[in-house]
Amino acid sequence: MLAPILLVLMVFFVTLPLWVRSVPVQYNARSLLVRKVTTLVTALGIALVVFVFAGSLMLREGINRVLTAAGRADTVVILRKGSDAELSSAIGNEYIGLFRGPAQVSQAGGVIGEIVIVVTADRADGFGASNVLVRGMPPDGFAFRPELKLASGRMPRPGTNEAIVGRGISGRFKGIAPGQSFELRRNRPLQIVGEFTADGSSYESEVWGDLDVIRRSLGREAVVSSVRVRLNRPEDFDAYRQTIENDKRFSMKVMREADYYQKQSQALSTFLGGMGLAAAILFSLAAMIGAAITMNGAVAHRTREIGTLRALGFSRRSILLSFLTEATVLSLAGGVIGVIAVQLLSLVKVPIINFQTFSEIVLRFQVAPGVLAWSLWFSGLMGLLGGLFPAIRASRVSPVEAMRA
Amino acid sequence: MNLATYARRNLFRRRFRSIMTVLAVTVATVIFCLIRTLVVVWHAGVDEAATDRLATRHKVSFTMELPKHYIDEIRQVPEVKAATWANWFGAKDPKERVPFFAGFAVDSDSWFDVLDEMQVPPDQLAAWKQTPNGVIIGDLLAKALDVQVGSRLVITSDIYPGDWDFKVVGIYKPLRKTADRNSLVLRWDFLNNDPRAGFAKDKIGWLVSRITDSVHSAEISRKIDTRFDQRDDQTLTTSERAFNLSFLGGFSAVLGAFDYGSLIILLIMTLILANAIAMSVRERTHEYGVMRAIGFPPRHILGFILAESVLVALVGGLIGVGVVVLAINNGIGPVLEENMSGFFPYFRAPLWVLGLALGLSGVLGLIAGAIPAWRMSRLSVTDALRRID
Amino acid sequence: MSENQMTEATKTAGAPGEPYRGTTTGTESIVTLSKITKTFFRGSEPIRVLEGLDLDVPNGSFEALMGPSGSGKSTLLNIIAGLDRPTSGAVRVAGADLGPMSDSELARWRSQTIGFVFQSFNLIPVLTAAQNVELPLLLTSLSRADRARHVATAMRIVSLEDRMHHYPRQLSGGQEQRVAIARAIVNDPKIIVADEPTGDLDRKSADDVLTLMERLNKELKKTIFMVTHDPAAAERAGVVRKLDKGALQ
Repeated sequence: MLAPILLVLMVFFVTLPLWVRSVPVQYNARSLLVRKVTTLVTALGIALVVFVFAGSLMLREGINRVLTAAGRADTVVILRKGSDAELSSAIGNEYIGLFRGPAQVSQAGGVIGEIVIVVTADRADGFGASNVLVRGMPPDGFAFRPELKLASGRMPRPGTNEAIVGRGISGRFKGIAPGQSFELRRNRPLQIVGEFTADGSSYESEVWGDLDVIRRSLGREAVVSSVRVRLNRPEDFDAYRQTIENDKRFSMKVMREADYYQKQSQALSTFLGGMGLAAAILFSLAAMIGAAITMNGAVAHRTREIGTLRALGFSRRSILLSFLTEATVLSLAGGVIGVIAVQLLSLVKVPIINFQTFSEIVLRFQVAPGVLAWSLWFSGLMGLLGGLFPAIRASRVSPVEAMRA
Repeated sequence: MNLATYARRNLFRRRFRSIMTVLAVTVATVIFCLIRTLVVVWHAGVDEAATDRLATRHKVSFTMELPKHYIDEIRQVPEVKAATWANWFGAKDPKERVPFFAGFAVDSDSWFDVLDEMQVPPDQLAAWKQTPNGVIIGDLLAKALDVQVGSRLVITSDIYPGDWDFKVVGIYKPLRKTADRNSLVLRWDFLNNDPRAGFAKDKIGWLVSRITDSVHSAEISRKIDTRFDQRDDQTLTTSERAFNLSFLGGFSAVLGAFDYGSLIILLIMTLILANAIAMSVRERTHEYGVMRAIGFPPRHILGFILAESVLVALVGGLIGVGVVVLAINNGIGPVLEENMSGFFPYFRAPLWVLGLALGLSGVLGLIAGAIPAWRMSRLSVTDALRRID
Repeated sequence: MSENQMTEATKTAGAPGEPYRGTTTGTESIVTLSKITKTFFRGSEPIRVLEGLDLDVPNGSFEALMGPSGSGKSTLLNIIAGLDRPTSGAVRVAGADLGPMSDSELARWRSQTIGFVFQSFNLIPVLTAAQNVELPLLLTSLSRADRARHVATAMRIVSLEDRMHHYPRQLSGGQEQRVAIARAIVNDPKIIVADEPTGDLDRKSADDVLTLMERLNKELKKTIFMVTHDPAAAERAGVVRKLDKGALQ
């Protein structure tokens, strides 16, 4: 919400010369056009910084989108107390039935216990290996997630070694594509029979198979990694959580599914987003120097003109404002170029490792209105700061000396 | 006087512009070195792992365990000098003084023999073998957790439920700069005898072996894997480096982004430099016209402009490299190593990065000056003389 | 005395065996232009500046070229000096045919044959007077000591020995122009071309400069070709030519 307000303020500032008695803004626009190569080169430098800035914001949006799209408000994730992720959690089979007891649980949706492991797979392009998350679910696990849509092939038959793969990673690894198979243990292959989508969530970077077949391959028949529970209403969460967490028979952690994924995405988006922003801010130092050089050149070049304007009666403040406006317009132009160019990134798929599971998820750069507003604001700010010193210099030009020069 | 005199004097004609241009190159050089250093540091732990050590894990997944008796079988391989094993403990500080540290359940008899980059006093090692709930921790972790030898230390685990009550019996010191000084090791038998071990009972996470012949490590790896090929639990043996990399495999995309980042900052630098040089050249068009009239051939003018551009870039690059040496290698680098050795056991810009940065600044200076220089050398003398601007 | 030194400079400055470096003696023409035309384009509209112009300048003369603005005076000067090329016609200066020469050959030829004096002096502001004069010598293979000697000689000829280490902004207009003349003669050129040399000077300084040019013509036997608006300047020249509408009157 802050970004659009800041942007509006900046636009107001830039067009200020239109409202108050000042050097006409057309004068600045023309002087930018006259030195078109210099203007373009400087704007391009700023565009590159905005590209990095907007790209890192888009990546953060992409992480949030992918990791939180899977989370629902009316669904609960139960892990063993002390575990932060499904991968390290283990819950005995005997408890699953007990989670169904409380009245808040939806009779239609039900309760599912799942096992989650990561397997090492060679990349299909031959460049190394990475980890893929495999989820074993009971037969009603597929119906538990209505966002699941079969994109090709067919659903796996329950109780068999058949599995389906999310579209995000399908074909990226050897053996993990429809019609292929990979081994969980010697002579215990999982056969991929279909490809699915799930609203662009991180589920699309997983392989889904049968709970019992997968557990048997691992020798972990007695446990599941996590349990998911569908509630009647999202508001029932607190009551349900208290019931389970206070139960002395077991020691469990109860989270809203949405919160669980939010927390999962936090580390990754803080890390990647933070790194991108740090880079953009460092880069902006260079771009601001570039803007300062250009504006300083403009001031030096137009000393005589500035002197004439002052002689005609324009105040120091209106000269200052005029050059600040010119610098801001210059770098906003760069910002617009950068924001347009960054749209190309939305075509790029980024495979990245999720800290919580050590498995690979595929992200996209996600466009959001906030990203555009922030980026333009950022570019304008660079122009303002870069143009400040030259503008002050311009405002100090003495009309007498300038005419003599 | 020679032509360099003229080129040098030109640098100081627009002092503000020259200083700012040099500053821009300096900033870009520092950023470039920082990014490249991060990439190098990222690989450092991996690169510097001893090549005479192999790691053996479950072929399918690092989350799956191997049967305990595998250690005895590996020790029978003639090329294996010594072998040990470890289980990931998922250790966490309940008071959250340390965000992350590695905790392993290891064989107290053989662990420090194989991982010999960590040095433990012999009396502390002997005490560990007498103390089932004893742990040995890195010197930096000991400082962060505020414990000494003899202290009680309660930690929790991401994998095994409840509080784990340990006694610190030893503190190890690094013998190599890349050794992790923030790890904790507990006794594997202590974990295994606890009912909370669950399905990990009598299982081991991975094996580390020291081999006789580091040149033939690939063959020895194959030999080990072949031995277990017909079992239910197949193995994957790699160099310790590749083992470490398998956790970072998915980070290649991040490192790729770093590469683009360093490319973009170089591009920004070139644009700024080219613009500044073009502005100076435009102002001096008339003067170059005079020199051409006197008889200086176009290539001299070309040379002047290129020399000026390269000189500005090199000065900026040199200052940037100096800043990196002072601020990173002798500033934040040692501080990071001290406080975040889990992530950055070693944080210095290597000499080749500094050299590369300096070389690139020179080359990019040449590129930045090329277009204005070429245009000026092509301009006719009479046109140049007419230009008063 | 100074004359001897300048002759010596010729020997060292000029590379031996230059094919286009003719020997010039007596009253033979040093500049021969025949049927010169020069056409500029403003947009797509051609503007003919010179039309079939013929010109002979005898060796050792001091000529002034006068004419209204836009008559093509500067263009003609530039063609003689090898700065510009005619659209058609032949240019022969100091025994060399300029037509077939490449830009770099022309540049080298200029550095050995032509000395320039401009209206606005055109000294390099970041170099001292001596360094400005030394500039053309950087194109020769002279040693540092030889260059210093030539610079000192040229500065003595223009009577500015005491201003060697001053920067252009520390000199008066007349002094600046005299430094520019020193720069024009330091490599002992055959011809000095001057474009409005007194245009930016007050009367007194202009007279000094013109007296200096007369001396160069008389004592050092330099051929001088000068474009001027100033009748007082033209008076000093041995020959005054008038150019109007692209043709010599």
